[in-house]
Amino acid sequence: MVSRRQLFHGAAVGAAVAATSVSRVALAALPEPVLQTKPDTLPPLYPSTGRPYQPVVTLNGWTLPWRMNQGVKEFHLVAEPVKRELAPGMVANLWGYNGQSPGPTFEVVEGDRVRIFVTNRLPEPHAVHWHGQRLPNGMDGVAGLTQPAIPVGKTYVYEFTARRPGTFMYHPHADEMVQMAMGLYGLWITHPKQPHPLISEVQRDFCFLLNAFDIEPGSATPKVMTMLDFNLWGWNSRVFPGIDSLNVRLGDRVRIRVGNLTMTNHPIHLHGHEFTVTGTDGGPVPMGARWPEVTTDVGVGQMRQIEFIADEPGDWAFHCHKSHHTMNAMGHNVPTLLGAQQEDVARRIQQHIPGYMLMGDKGMHDMTEMEMPLPDNTLPMMTGEGPFGGVGMGGMFSVLKVRKNQPHGDYRDPGWYEAPAGTRAYEWTGTAPATPRAATAPASATLQVRKPAGHSGH
Amino acid sequence: MMNLPAWLRGASRRRACAPRLVHRPSWAALAVALSLSGCASWSERGVTEPLHAQLSPHLADAATTLTLQRDEDAVRTATAQADALLQAPLDAEGAVRVALLLHRGLQVRLHALGVSEAERVQAVGWPNPRLSVSRLARGSERETEWSLGLELGHWLLRPWISDLEDRRLAAERQQVALAVLEHLTQVRQSYYQAVAAEHTLRTLTRWHDAADTGATLARRLEQAGNFSPVQRAREQVLAAEGQRQRIRARLAAQASRERLARDLGLGDRPEALRLPEQLPELPKQLPERPELERQALAERLDVAAARQQLERRARELGAGRLRGFVNGLELSAIRSTSNEAPTQTGWEVSFELPLFDWGGARAARAEVLYGQNMHLAAQIAQEARSQVREAEATWRGAWQIARQYQDELLPLAREVSRQNLLRYNGMLIGPLDLLADARNQMTTVTESIQAQRDFWLAQTVLDQALRGPVSPMSLNAANTSRSADAGANH
Ligand SMILES: [Cu+2]
Repeated sequence: MVSRRQLFHGAAVGAAVAATSVSRVALAALPEPVLQTKPDTLPPLYPSTGRPYQPVVTLNGWTLPWRMNQGVKEFHLVAEPVKRELAPGMVANLWGYNGQSPGPTFEVVEGDRVRIFVTNRLPEPHAVHWHGQRLPNGMDGVAGLTQPAIPVGKTYVYEFTARRPGTFMYHPHADEMVQMAMGLYGLWITHPKQPHPLISEVQRDFCFLLNAFDIEPGSATPKVMTMLDFNLWGWNSRVFPGIDSLNVRLGDRVRIRVGNLTMTNHPIHLHGHEFTVTGTDGGPVPMGARWPEVTTDVGVGQMRQIEFIADEPGDWAFHCHKSHHTMNAMGHNVPTLLGAQQEDVARRIQQHIPGYMLMGDKGMHDMTEMEMPLPDNTLPMMTGEGPFGGVGMGGMFSVLKVRKNQPHGDYRDPGWYEAPAGTRAYEWTGTAPATPRAATAPASATLQVRKPAGHSGH
Repeated sequence: MMNLPAWLRGASRRRACAPRLVHRPSWAALAVALSLSGCASWSERGVTEPLHAQLSPHLADAATTLTLQRDEDAVRTATAQADALLQAPLDAEGAVRVALLLHRGLQVRLHALGVSEAERVQAVGWPNPRLSVSRLARGSERETEWSLGLELGHWLLRPWISDLEDRRLAAERQQVALAVLEHLTQVRQSYYQAVAAEHTLRTLTRWHDAADTGATLARRLEQAGNFSPVQRAREQVLAAEGQRQRIRARLAAQASRERLARDLGLGDRPEALRLPEQLPELPKQLPERPELERQALAERLDVAAARQQLERRARELGAGRLRGFVNGLELSAIRSTSNEAPTQTGWEVSFELPLFDWGGARAARAEVLYGQNMHLAAQIAQEARSQVREAEATWRGAWQIARQYQDELLPLAREVSRQNLLRYNGMLIGPLDLLADARNQMTTVTESIQAQRDFWLAQTVLDQALRGPVSPMSLNAANTSRSADAGANH
C-alpha cells in the first residue's frame, strides 16, 4: 500500500520527469489513467468497490473507473487534445479528458472521500472547477484565485468529500473561454447514500451535457472566438445522427440529467410523455415546486434533472426545441429562395457553375432527400434516415425508444418501432372533403371593394 | 584604322552584285578596274536577294516571302498565298507571312530600295561622253568646234564610287531591313494583343452574364418578397458594372483587331482575319541565354550599320588625299574646224590645280567625322547591350508572373470554386455567393490572359532587341476590377 505521503511524493516526481508530456511510466505511482478511444455509449459501470449505487448511462460517454486507496476513491483525469467523432463523417479536433470530449462521468456516493489527480497535457495551463459542489475553497479550481494554474505537464491533486447528492459538472477555470470552446468538461453524479425522499429510484438514468461548436465546414477545429453563431449543437460532443438513442423498457421510471455548458439556453423537449423537473445542480426540487412539463428550458450553466414513467411504447423524438439547434452546419446568411420563380435563372447559373443545382425554392425538404457532395469533414444541414425516409434533422436531436420487451438493464438499440395496425398516420385516398376554405370569401370581397374594376385570380 | 573595339572590327557585309573591289586602289588596280565593266544592270533579284540575306537571320525562310510586287499579277499571286494562310486561324508566324505578302507599306519600302539600286547602277556605270559643239564667228571667219568629252575623273574614281555606292545602298538596305523587322514586331504585338483582347472579351462577357444572372435572381427574390430593394439594387449595380466592363472590352477587342488588320495589310477586308481562341501556351521553362548581349552586338542592324558607317569613314579618310588631286580631272578630245583655217584636232586635259585647297580641310573633316562615328557606334552598342538586358529581364519577369497565374492562381481559383459549390450544396452559402465567386474566378482568368499576353509581348521586344533599337516595355499591374465584388460576399 502506498501511503498518502509517498503518493504525493511520487506524483511530484512524475511531473518533474516529464515536464511537457507525462509518460505512463512516470505516472506509475498515480492511478493508471483510463482512456476511451470510441465515442460510443458505454454500458453502466456497476461499482465493485465502495458504497453500492444504481449507475447512470452517459449518452455517447462513459464513467471513469477509480481505485480505492485506504477508503479514498482515486481518479486520474488527463486533460489533452483529442479527436472526437461528432457524427459519422466528421471528426473534430477538440480538447478533452482521457481520450474523449466530454470527459468521463464521475460517479460517487454521498459522503465519499474523493481524490482526483489532474494531469495537464494541454499546451497551456489548466485548472478544474467542480461546478456545484460543496468543497473547501482551495479545491474549487479557479486558477489564480484559489490555486495556481496547473502548469503544462504537471499533475495536481484535488481532494474533497462529496457532501451533497445530485448532478454536477466539471469544467476548466483557466482560460475557460478557449478550453470550454474546445470541448473540455464532464459530468459528475453524486448518488444518495441512502433512500432520499426527494430522489426516486429509477430503472434508467441517463445524463449528458449540452455543448456547441463553431467549426468551419472543411476544417476540424472549433473557432474559439465565436460567441453565439455556432453551427454545431451537440449532446456530449455528438450531433444527430451521431447521438445514440435512449432505450428503455415500457413502464420504466426514467431520469435524464441535462447540463448546459453552451452560451445560450436550450428548451429540451420530449414527445409522448409529461415529465417533471426533479432536480437542478442546486439539489432535489421540493415536491410542492414540481409541475408537469413537456419542455424544460436549460439555462446556461444550469443542470436539469427530469423524470417520467415511460408508459407509451414507440420511438419518441427528444430534442432541443430551438429548430436551428436541430440542424447541422448551415449558412445563416443564405437568402430565402422560397417562392421565387427561378428555373431559368438556375439554367443560366449552371452555365457558369457546372454542377449547380437549384435548391430551396420550394422549401428545404429536398435537402433531406438529396445526396450532394459536401466539403470534407462536415455534416449535411439536414440529415438522418428513419424507417419512413429522411428525418431531416441534425444537432440536438435523439430518440427515446420505449419497448415492452426491452430487457431490464439492457441499453442496446432495439431498432425501429413497429406501430400496431391502424395506429399510424396514413394517406387519405378517398375524395377530398368539401370543406369551405375560411379565408377565401372575405379576402376576395375586400379586394373587390378596393378595386371595383375587379382583378380575378388573386 | 584607329584602335577599335573588337565588335566594331567585323568584316564588312558582302555586296551581292558588285565586282570585288580593291580596298586600297593602286594605279595598277585602277587600270584593272577601268577595264572591268562591273555589274551595271538593274534586276529585281539585285534588289531583293541582298535584302533577304539581311533578313533571313531574323526571319528564317519567311524572309523570301517578301518580294517586289511590281505589277497587279504579282499582287494577285501574293494575295492568293496570303488567302491560303488565312484559311485557318492565324498563328503569330502566319501573321508575319501574311504581312510580308500583303502589307503595302512594306512594298513602298521595297520599291524605294529598288529606286536606290537603280541609282547605284547608274552611278557605277560608264558615264556618257559629253559632246559639245561650238560655232564662233570672227568677222567672216567661222569656226566650228566639236569636242567629245569624257569625264575622266569619274572614270578614274569609278572603283571608289562603286565602293561608296555599294556602302550607301547597303546602309539603305539595312534601314529597310530594320523597318521591315520593326513592322513585323509590330505585327506580332498586334497579333498577341488582338488574340488576348478577344479572349478577354469572351471572359468579361461571361462576367457580365454572371452578374446579370445575379441581378435577375435578385429581382425575382424581390418580387417574391424575400429581398429588399437595397439587396436587389446591389446586385443590379454589379450587373451594370459588368456591362460597362464588357463594352470597354469590346472596344478594346475591336480596336486591336483593326490594328492587326492594318498591320497585316488587311485594312480593306478585316473580315478575312481569323484568330485562335487563345494565346499560345507558355513555355514550361525559359532557356538560359548568356549569349544575348554578344548576339545583339553581332546581329543588330543598327550596330552593324554603325560599324559599316565607321568603316566607310575610315575609307574616306584614305581616299580623301587622292580625290583632292584627281577630282575634276577631265579629258577632252577636241576637233576644231574653221572655214578659213585647216581643221584643228587635238586633245585637252584639264584639272583643278590643288594650289589653294590641297585637301587638308577635307581630310580634317573626314577625321572628325570618323571620330564622331566612332562615338556614335560606341553609343549605339551601349544602348543595344542595355536594351537587350532589360528586355531579357522583362521577358523572364513576365514569364514568372504568367506562370504564377497558370500554375498557382488559376488552380487556386478553381479550387475555391469547387469548394464553394460544395458549400452551396451544404446550404452554407447561397447562389449569389456562388455567382460572385464565379466572377472572381473570371477576373483571375482575365488577369491571367493579360499576364500571358505580356509574356508574348515581352518576347517580341526581346526578339526585336536582337535586331535593332527597342523602347522598353513595362509590365503594368493588372487593372481589372475586383473592387466590385469586394463587398458582394454578403
Ligand atoms: Cu438548443
